[in-house]
Formats: sequence, C-alpha cells, structure tokens
Amino acid sequence: MTERPLVRMTGIGKRFGGVQACRDIDLTIAAGEVHALLGENGAGKSTLINILSGVITDYDGTIEVDGRPVSFGGPVDAQRAGIATIHQELDLVAGLSIAENMFLGREPRTRLGGVDIRRMRRQAAEHLRTLGADLDPRRLVGSLRVGEQQLVEIGRALSLDARVLIMDEPTAALADAEVERLFATITELRRAGVGIVYISHRMAEIEVVADRVTVLRNGGLAGTVDPKTASRDEIIQLMVGRSVDALFGEGRNEPGEVLLDVRGLAVLPRRPMPGRTEPAGVDLTVRTGEIVGLAGLMGAGRTELLETLFGAGGAGRRTGQVTIDGRPYHPRGPRAALARGVAFVPEDRRGAGLMLEHSVAENVVLSALSTLTTLGVVRRQAVRRTVAEQLTTLAVKAASPAVAAATLSGGNQQKVVFAKQLLTRPRLLLLDEPTRGVDIGAKAEIYRLLHRLADTGMAILLASSELPELLSLCDRVVVLHRGRTVATLPRASATQQAILAAANGDDAKETR
Amino acid sequence: MNPPNPAAVEEAPAETPPPRRPSLRLPRDRHALVDNFFRFQSLFGLVAVFLIAIAVSPVRNGENIFLSSGNLANIVRAVSEIGIIAVGMTFVILIGGIDLSVGAVLGLAAVGSATLMVDSGMGILPTVLIVLLIGTAFGATQGAIVARIGIQSFIVTLAGLQAARGIARMWSGGLGIPIAYGDGPKEAPEAFSLLSGSINGVLPVPAVLFIAIGVGALLVLRSTAFARHVYAIGGNEKAARLSGVPVRRVRITVFAISGLLAALAGIIHAGQLNQGSPNDGSGYELDAIAAVVIGGTSLAGGSGSMGGTIAGALLLGILNNILALNNIDANVQLVVKGLVIVAAAALQKLRPRIS
Repeated sequence: MTERPLVRMTGIGKRFGGVQACRDIDLTIAAGEVHALLGENGAGKSTLINILSGVITDYDGTIEVDGRPVSFGGPVDAQRAGIATIHQELDLVAGLSIAENMFLGREPRTRLGGVDIRRMRRQAAEHLRTLGADLDPRRLVGSLRVGEQQLVEIGRALSLDARVLIMDEPTAALADAEVERLFATITELRRAGVGIVYISHRMAEIEVVADRVTVLRNGGLAGTVDPKTASRDEIIQLMVGRSVDALFGEGRNEPGEVLLDVRGLAVLPRRPMPGRTEPAGVDLTVRTGEIVGLAGLMGAGRTELLETLFGAGGAGRRTGQVTIDGRPYHPRGPRAALARGVAFVPEDRRGAGLMLEHSVAENVVLSALSTLTTLGVVRRQAVRRTVAEQLTTLAVKAASPAVAAATLSGGNQQKVVFAKQLLTRPRLLLLDEPTRGVDIGAKAEIYRLLHRLADTGMAILLASSELPELLSLCDRVVVLHRGRTVATLPRASATQQAILAAANGDDAKETR
Repeated sequence: MNPPNPAAVEEAPAETPPPRRPSLRLPRDRHALVDNFFRFQSLFGLVAVFLIAIAVSPVRNGENIFLSSGNLANIVRAVSEIGIIAVGMTFVILIGGIDLSVGAVLGLAAVGSATLMVDSGMGILPTVLIVLLIGTAFGATQGAIVARIGIQSFIVTLAGLQAARGIARMWSGGLGIPIAYGDGPKEAPEAFSLLSGSINGVLPVPAVLFIAIGVGALLVLRSTAFARHVYAIGGNEKAARLSGVPVRRVRITVFAISGLLAALAGIIHAGQLNQGSPNDGSGYELDAIAAVVIGGTSLAGGSGSMGGTIAGALLLGILNNILALNNIDANVQLVVKGLVIVAAAALQKLRPRIS
C-alpha cells in the first residue's frame, strides 16, 4: 500500500426515509490495489458505491481524492476526478461499434467538425491492446459476448484516464475462460497503478484477486481483513454475523423411480438465433427425490435445454424421446408443462420471473390462480391465506404481501419466484441458476429448501455455473458441451477437474 | 388482493369489506397521503372539475344550469358511446396494447344496424346480434394477428381502422343510411328508437347502458382470474407466459371485447342519430384513449383501473359541457382537452416510483 490512498472515504452515512442504508463507514482505496467489498444484499454496498461514483450526492461524511476533499454534483464529476464504474448491467449501445461506444459523447472531431472515425478507431484499438483484447474496433457491440463487452467498458474507463475503477459483480455473467481473462486484465490494471473496488458474491474469486477485503453488514462496517490470512469461514461470519456451518446440507435420501427420462433430445430451430445452443443430443434421467445438476460452459445449451423441457424454447422440430412417468412428454407450452407437473424457475428473475411493479401476493398466486377461483372469480380469502402460508414457509422477508416485488432484495425476489412455482405442486422442478445474484444467507436457505423438496420426493434438475454449488448439492452432474450430453458424473466421482474437462469437450466419456 | 391501482369508485359495490380497504380518511403519514392522491387521481380530478363547473356555470332564474338534472343526464348521454369504447380500450391498454380500430368499427356497426333493419327488413334482436358478432369477430381477428404473428397492435389496428372504414363504405354505398320507423318496408321497428329515449324521462338509455357496462367491467377487472392474467401480461409478458398464463387466448379475448363494445357503441350511435353513416365515430378512438389515460392507466400496460377510465370519460364530458354552456368556441374546447390530457399524464409521472 502506498503512503497516501487515492481515495479516502470517512464516516460515510446515508438514510433513505426510515432506513439507514449506510452508517459511519470508512474506506480507503490505494493505487494498485484490489479492494473487495463484501456483504449480503442490503448490507449497504450499492449505496456506498453510488456515493463514491456521484450518483448519490447528499450524504454524511467526507470523501477525499488525492488528499483533497471533494463533493460530486453528479456521476460526471466523479468521472472527471478519475472514478469510473462498471455496472453489472453494462451501459453500452448494442447498435454502435466498439470504437463508437468507447468515445460516445466525446468523439474526436475532424477540422470540419465531423467525427474523426480513423482517429477514434486507432485510439480504441490502442486501449483494447492494453487490455490484451484481440477485437476489431469496428465490430458492433451487440455481436460481442458479455465478457468482451465488459472489456469495452473497461477500455472506455481507461480512455477516461480512470484511476479508480469500481466493478460491480463483473463475473456474474462470465464463463470461466472469460473470468481468467478478466483477472489477467485486472492484474494489468493493478500494475498500471489503478485502484479497483471489486464487488462479488463469489468467495473463491475474492481469494484469488483481492488484496484487501472490507465486509459490510446492515449498513455498517463489519471489518476489513486480508484474504491471504483470513479463512473463508471468518469472512462469511463477518458477513452474516453468525457462523454458517450448515451452509451445504448432507445426508441425502435414496432416490426413487425414474421420473424424467430424456433420450437423444435434439431441437432443429425453425429460425436459428445467434447465441442460442439448442439441444443436440441430450441424454439424462432424473429420479424422484433426486437433485441432478446441469454443468457446462457459457453457451453449452443448459438454459435452452431447460426451456425446451418446459415448452418455452423456440419453435422448431424436435427429435428424440422424452418421458415423464414413462409416458411421452412433449409440452406445447409452459401451460401444458405445468399441467404435467413440471415447473421452471428461470435465470433472469427480473425479466422472466416476476412482475416487478405488481405486489408480492399477485406474483405468488399467478401460476396457481385456477385453484383459487370459483367460476373465474378469485377467492380473496383463499388467496390471502395461501400467500401468507407460502411467504412463511419460504421465509420471504417482505414488509407486507401488498408491497411491489421490486422492493424486495434479490434473494427474497427469488424466493417469491420459487413460491409461485411451488404453488403449482410440481413433481419436477427445473432451476436455472437459482442462486445467481443472491446473497450468501439466502443461498443457504435456498439450498436447504431444495433438500427439503427432494426429501418430499420432488425431482430437481438444476443448471448452475458455480461448480462448488453443483458438487455439494447434486446427486449426479450431467455435463453439456455444445448442446450434447458429454458426461454424467455420479456424486462420488464428480470433481471440479472432471466437470471442467468434460465441459471443455476434452474428454467425452460416459461415466455411469 | 387489490389491482395495482384501484380507483375509489371501485370501492363502491357492496361486498364484505376487505380488511386492507384503501381509505379516503386521513392517512397516517405524508407518504400515504401522497400515495392515495395518486391512486385516486382521476377521481380527485373528476371532483375538482365538477366543482369548478358548478362555480362557473351560468345561472338562470336562480337555477344553476350545470346542476340541472336535464343537463347532468345529457352529460352522461354524451359520453356514453366514448365511455363504452373506453371500457374495452382499458382492457387492451392494460395488456400493453392499443386499439385504433374502435372508431371505424363503431361506424361499421352503425351502418350495419341501419342496413340490416332498413334494407334487409330484419328485426331488432337479429340485427343487434349480427352487428355485435361482426364487431367481436373483427376484434378477435385483430387480436389473433397480434398474438399469433406478433405484429404490434398499433399497426394491426391501424390497418383494421382502414379496413373497417372501407367495408362500411362498400356496405352503405358511401352514404349515410337514414332510419325511418314504422311497420312498412324500408322501415325499422319503432322500438329501436328507444335508444335515443330516456327511462322515466330522466335517465337516458345510452347512459344506463354505459354505467351498467362500466360497473360490470369494473367488477370483472377487480376480482376475476382473467383480470389477473390481463394485468400479468401487461406487467411482464414473458414472466406471464412462463407462469402458465394463456397469453394468446387472453390477448385475443381482450381485442374481441374491445370490438364487441365498439360495435355496441355503434348500435347506440345509430339509435341516437336515427341513421348509420360509414364516417360515424371518426376520431372516437383518440377520445377513448384520452379517457383511459386521464383515468391513470399506464400505456405501458400492467397498471390501471376501470374506475379511473369511467371517471376519465365523465371528466371529459363535464369539461365539454361546461365549456359549451359558457359559449366557449369549440376549437378552444379542443385545446383545453389537450391540456387536461397532458396534465393527467404529467401527474402520473410525478407519482413516486417504487425504489
């Protein structure tokens, strides 16, 4: 650490109405350091970041940049002071090229006042080279993968001479190979003296990349530790305020009969979409009471498989055999799937799982309305009772069932989606990244819930990019590569290495 | 479970009182006060315009002309056609769509009513049934195109508007068809003229129909599974589909309802004017949309209420009436109407957003 930090935040506090979002937080960021910010959802990370990046302008406490006190009137002021933010949802225009995106709003001009396209491309190419990215600056951002888009964002920050870079869950949407490249980029930036604030829920990453870890809890500072010396348990304990020993449950029941059987499932899409990998030869079985994991790299076709099984995939010709209880199963749509006892919790809960502006209660009962109506009229009493029951069972933290779903934290939103799907009394539950963007406490609760459901005889098929999650949760892991089943690994022989090797298509062996 | 944005009028129907009944009594804190104001915005607007109208109304022989029962009945009669169309439009807008064809369907229905009775010598019941069927089928077809092919409803119903006008002109030969009453050939049954009459000489028949349909739709929107599906599709179509909502069926039904109600308004139109002209109902779609917007329903879909729409339609009617009573130029009336629409939409923007 250098003698004087780039940024020093002292006694930061912020109150929203009756909620104290931040209270008396001190944070320093030194040049060339990666400072990880940890905390459960609602711990105050976003508020703190919004204050530092100039989004929130009225707060208690002081911010110094290079030892001089500053007060930002808006995000532009913060950028001018060298503080750039890379949001989880990237701020790029899909229809413009990489170069145009990097210089959006401050395009270099020719003498006649037109845009100097050549200079813009040249400078963009330079920044991309610094990041070790082999990309043509003329390419449209919409044609890039998420990891590449992120590099464009970082390139834009560099072109702004950013000295502090705030990265909000930068790996949330990245495949493993892209994560490695991002880490290489971070190492480069660190060497160049950029201070990085790194927010993530993934402990493994933080151990690799962070120099210091600051943990927030309930809006206050829980502690700052060195990840090289502090154990993972210590850090988790700081976040949750109690020790989490039973994070991953153990002791599974014997699975029952085969519920879902998929043989050679393939879909020939009517209109092939770029970026979608339709099933191209999937074999798997799920028994009652069993949790089966779906592993694979980004683009291996996990989501597409789950969508196909739920009748929500794109239109196309389907081949292969799918049976539930031995009877053929080819749902024409989600309604038909639900009628056969299949439920689906999609990956994108804000975009595909919830009506954010509608109340929690309305969201919870949506799928099961037909069981709560008489002659088409909703029975209010029954709805109220059912909603209360579900919210209690799943321990959803909401001020009341009448508040909008958007007001809930990520973990609680996810529980609402679960509640909605579970109300349909499914026998097979399809889950796509059920713990993405969910804090560690809620994660543990979701794991416990899945075990409980499996114990009642529900069959669960779960896609996840987090290998530790798959390994600890699942009875078997099915690995997909380019839409095909390349391995089925029972719990005993499933290791991170084995899954990764299969997922990369190195070794297409069938272990059963 | 309450719809996201129930207006106070929705609380009127007698029912076992729900425990969390929105209350107009003094709210506990400022947030609730603000919230209630925006929830019942169109009702507040209606009351405000009503009071202003009383204040600025001309007085003759000590009687407030605006408040006379004849005038009040006339207001409701005048808004009844637009109001009935707006009820259907509310469903369409709630799923995030728009129906521009309603004015043209009204014209088609008016022409149909006149032609079937006068030229084809049909009775009232078959005429009404056929015309309503035409309107419903027209709406359902548009809904099917929107739902199946996935073209935006703006475009589909813009095409539908042209088509309905064209059909109406071909059917009528381009001219208005007058309706004469009597038992002879080329005469319509006398009873059809009841549509321009009043019950007990006080309540205009079209007004009664409007109120009945409005209250009926309000109850449907408040408490049926169908309504929950409508709100769900407007709120997040993808999530609705994945939740097992029959999105296509609901879509088609909603456009069919809009077509049905536009046709009903067309029958009333023919009965009130004793003729059916292919140009009837021009621009009515915009007045209906205005009533829905003033009623606080979001054009993005997913939130809004039928009570708001009814209040919005009445508000527009009172506005037109009081301006006319004061002999204010019709062109000025248009400008005032525009300002009211913008003001209503601006108020919606000011509404505190959920974080």
